[in-house]
Amino acid sequence: MANHQLTSLIRMANQIAANNTHIGDETAEAEMIANHLTKFWARSMKQQIAEYLNQGGDELSPIARKAIGIMSR
Amino acid sequence: MLQYFNPKQQDFDKDYGTPASVSENLITLEIDGVSITVPEGTSVLRAAAEADINIPKLCASDNLEAFGSCRICAVEIEGRRGTPASCTTPAEAGMKVTTQNKRLGKLRRNIMELYISDHPLDCLTCPANGNCELQDVAGEVGLREVRYGFSGENHLQAEKDHSNPYFSFDPSKCIVCSRCVRACSEVQGTFALTIDGRGFDSKVSPGQNQDFLDSECVSCGACVQACPTSTLMEKSVIEIGQPEHSVVTTCAYCGVGCQFKAEMKGSEVIRMVPYKGGQANHGHSCVKGRFAFGYATHEDRITKPMIRDSIDQPWQEVSWDEALSFAASKLRGIQDKYGRESIGGITSSRCTNEETYLVQKLIRAAFGNNNTDTCARVCHSPTGYGLKTTLGESAGTQTFDSVMHADAIMVIGANPTDAHPVFGSLLKKRLRQGAKLIVADPRRIDLVKSPHVETNHHLTLRPGSNVAFINAMAHVIMDEGLEDQAFIAERCETEAFNAWRNFISEKRHSPENTESITGIPAAELRSAARIYANAKNAAIYYGLGVTEHSQGSSMVMGIANLALATGNIGREGVGVNPLRGQNNVQGSCDMGSFPHELPGYQHVSDDIVRARFESAWGVTLDNEPGLRIPNMFDAALDGTYKGMYCQGEDIAQSDPNTNHVQAALRSLECLVVQDIFLNETAKFAHVFLPGSSFLEKDGTFTNAERRINRVRKVMPPLAGLQDWEATQALSNALGYPMNYSHPSEIMDEIAQLAPTFSNVSYERLDQLGSIQWPCNELAPDGTPTMHEESFPIGKGHFAITEYVATEERSTRKYPLLLTTGRILSQYNVGAQTRRTENQIWHDDDVLELHPQDAEDRGINNGDWVGIASRAGETVMRAKLSGRMQPGVVYTTFHHPHSGANVVTTDNSDWATNCPEYKVTAVQAVKVTEPSDWQQRYREFNQKQLGYLDKARLNQESVVTGK
Repeated sequence: MANHQLTSLIRMANQIAANNTHIGDETAEAEMIANHLTKFWARSMKQQIAEYLNQGGDELSPIARKAIGIMSR
Repeated sequence: MLQYFNPKQQDFDKDYGTPASVSENLITLEIDGVSITVPEGTSVLRAAAEADINIPKLCASDNLEAFGSCRICAVEIEGRRGTPASCTTPAEAGMKVTTQNKRLGKLRRNIMELYISDHPLDCLTCPANGNCELQDVAGEVGLREVRYGFSGENHLQAEKDHSNPYFSFDPSKCIVCSRCVRACSEVQGTFALTIDGRGFDSKVSPGQNQDFLDSECVSCGACVQACPTSTLMEKSVIEIGQPEHSVVTTCAYCGVGCQFKAEMKGSEVIRMVPYKGGQANHGHSCVKGRFAFGYATHEDRITKPMIRDSIDQPWQEVSWDEALSFAASKLRGIQDKYGRESIGGITSSRCTNEETYLVQKLIRAAFGNNNTDTCARVCHSPTGYGLKTTLGESAGTQTFDSVMHADAIMVIGANPTDAHPVFGSLLKKRLRQGAKLIVADPRRIDLVKSPHVETNHHLTLRPGSNVAFINAMAHVIMDEGLEDQAFIAERCETEAFNAWRNFISEKRHSPENTESITGIPAAELRSAARIYANAKNAAIYYGLGVTEHSQGSSMVMGIANLALATGNIGREGVGVNPLRGQNNVQGSCDMGSFPHELPGYQHVSDDIVRARFESAWGVTLDNEPGLRIPNMFDAALDGTYKGMYCQGEDIAQSDPNTNHVQAALRSLECLVVQDIFLNETAKFAHVFLPGSSFLEKDGTFTNAERRINRVRKVMPPLAGLQDWEATQALSNALGYPMNYSHPSEIMDEIAQLAPTFSNVSYERLDQLGSIQWPCNELAPDGTPTMHEESFPIGKGHFAITEYVATEERSTRKYPLLLTTGRILSQYNVGAQTRRTENQIWHDDDVLELHPQDAEDRGINNGDWVGIASRAGETVMRAKLSGRMQPGVVYTTFHHPHSGANVVTTDNSDWATNCPEYKVTAVQAVKVTEPSDWQQRYREFNQKQLGYLDKARLNQESVVTGK
């Protein structure tokens, strides 16, 4: 069965990352993105994306990976 | 001494003859021996009326400038010659006025005699009988005979015009007072009416001697309201007679929130008359609110609850109890099997605040999760995010009236004359007074050029380039030193401003460098930026053309940045003004419909906030956000989301990528739909709870200016329950008790839990007419203008808004960009307006395209055109239109069979998942038959309507014992 949620979540995470990578400080940017995910994503969405990152997270952009790492700390 | 200058003391049922003066200088005069104090600039007619000295009048009305044509209101003024018209004579200090004496009486009788000599004397059978100003004035002046006879040349046989579906025009009754013409010009701003001919030949002419329907008339009803005779009269009154009582309530169409007097005979609405005391509309209306209310009693209304086990079964009509326990056991069964988070719900932006509040409460307290969302997700969720981030509150900053103080007005991605018509009229009034206008829109909307209105700059930006555009505007302001340094220093965070200044000053944001992205010539953009920045007061109004993009939230923040940088926040005439689509979108957001926020925009993760709600609601609340609508659909397709309660929203038609949405809906094990019609979503439902229209309930709506307006029940709910009562009953069936006896009790609970509502109550609403939140101890009467002294977050926050191009871009396969929107006569999914005579103006959605794009494809006006995107394909008729720029096509989504959203994609705003309705790469080709989707839709629709017929037939056979 296709995983509709995960496909969307990867895309969303990358898009959030792409829109928040212009303040010039990568750590601050990752914190901002992680904060956004924490604040707006449902528990199940966070779990799925964190699990995906644990499995390699191939399709995530580097900054998205860093942010999800911070989020799941 | 009598003093009459407080507009709040006005009697809104009385016509004072001329508009109120806003001058603060008071003068005192004497009328018929009574000393009266009024603001300078008040007419003698109005000054008298305010002291309840009622001078007869015909051509004067207090929503129109004085005209002085009928001469009935003539008076004598000590020390002046003749008998001046009191409507055109300003009151002056020390003036002594006589309004009644023999000479004036004779003069008025003579004038009336002339009028009546060319007027049919069929008063007893006339539709205006009982509500005719001409008849009243004839009585007041004591007209007893008409010496001229009726045999001479006259207009008594003038041909009637019944072309408009809602009102008739009978020129034989016309007294050529010009009130209709002036209402069309001054109030509505359409200039569709004129007086044609001179002297005896003078007559009211729509357009150039056309029928009303064929003219430029937009059917707002201002002329009908202005007419003192039965010349312009509602067909409903002609048919049924004059109403016998009325109730003031609030329109359920767009986010302007007009108030109307629902004029009734028993429990039947005869007509809706815009209420002069309505603080958003001041007595004006549009074709939807004024006339398109017939849907409320349409034969398609479903008035009995229905259930079924599968969507491939006929419906079964059942009692409320049976339907509610069926729904409750299905939803609980799903939670037992798939977990607490496997169900959720959608609140309605068309229902009242109290109803919305109850639905989210039911989800959070009875379902035990935060899977609640609302249709604001697909329209203004970026407004909530963007304005909260920058200004600290998820709402527009002004009143609508504020526009009358604006010197420069920038309209971005909004079409107010179609989608918010009553505000559109006010805006046009200000433009006619000389305010400058900048329109940023890919299409040439009516505001760009209409009678006596012409935009200074129409910035025809390419769909998807909004953020590049707004950044370029800000770049010019900083580059040319046009910012308001004092405001920035005093009111904004310094660190964030410095970071933003460095970002926005980069040359890559200059209009010269972004011209290739936006398509806006650099010089034109610079000129527009100067107009905005240099105006004393500059205001921005925006709509879904801003929010419904992959960068909707960035664009909202970019707009707020611009207002902060120029100090255009915190007073009248300025601000950031989102024009909200549906009647209660603002309210549904305020009421905690979003999965991450409790009522009053309080985050679910805040322990202190949650503790207050937990104590009031008697449950433990989840501290994690729930699913948003698109996440619900994805989870449904993955099999983890199985049940949904959807009140008053038609997600199957309104949400993007219809194929995806419908597949998700099909996968649900229990869909409960509460609506007034079997809408597209209900065709996928297992439980149908019949809803109540706005005429059948008490409650409140909150409009785009944060104004809480009362909705009052004028007729009993057709299905027996108001929507809040049905939600309450469902909650009780689920085992979570709710025991409200009136919506006012729900509002009291809201006031207790949401700090911005703490002083709101029905009692205060009745006293004040309406209240703009925040309304609390700091602002007991509400807050017309936000952020006057500080922001809820302390200081204004400049946000970095990098332009990130949407992934949706034109390709060789899909070379055109489709953008979707609305038109004047229809509303949203059309469920209401399609069931009214408004169909006469727009009975189908069409694809508007530029003649060059059409020619390239061999498409002629009216041809069937297939529109395909990567999401799907549909077919519509083509309409060639110079409004479009080459490469951009446009359609509306008012009709389900047209399938506009079959074509739109699942692209969405990065921060809020608001869909990117405004940018879809498509191809258009000439075709000869409907699309596969449309053929499938037709079959499915017929099947589902058949299931409804079966329910009704079965019920009839039960009732009749057959």
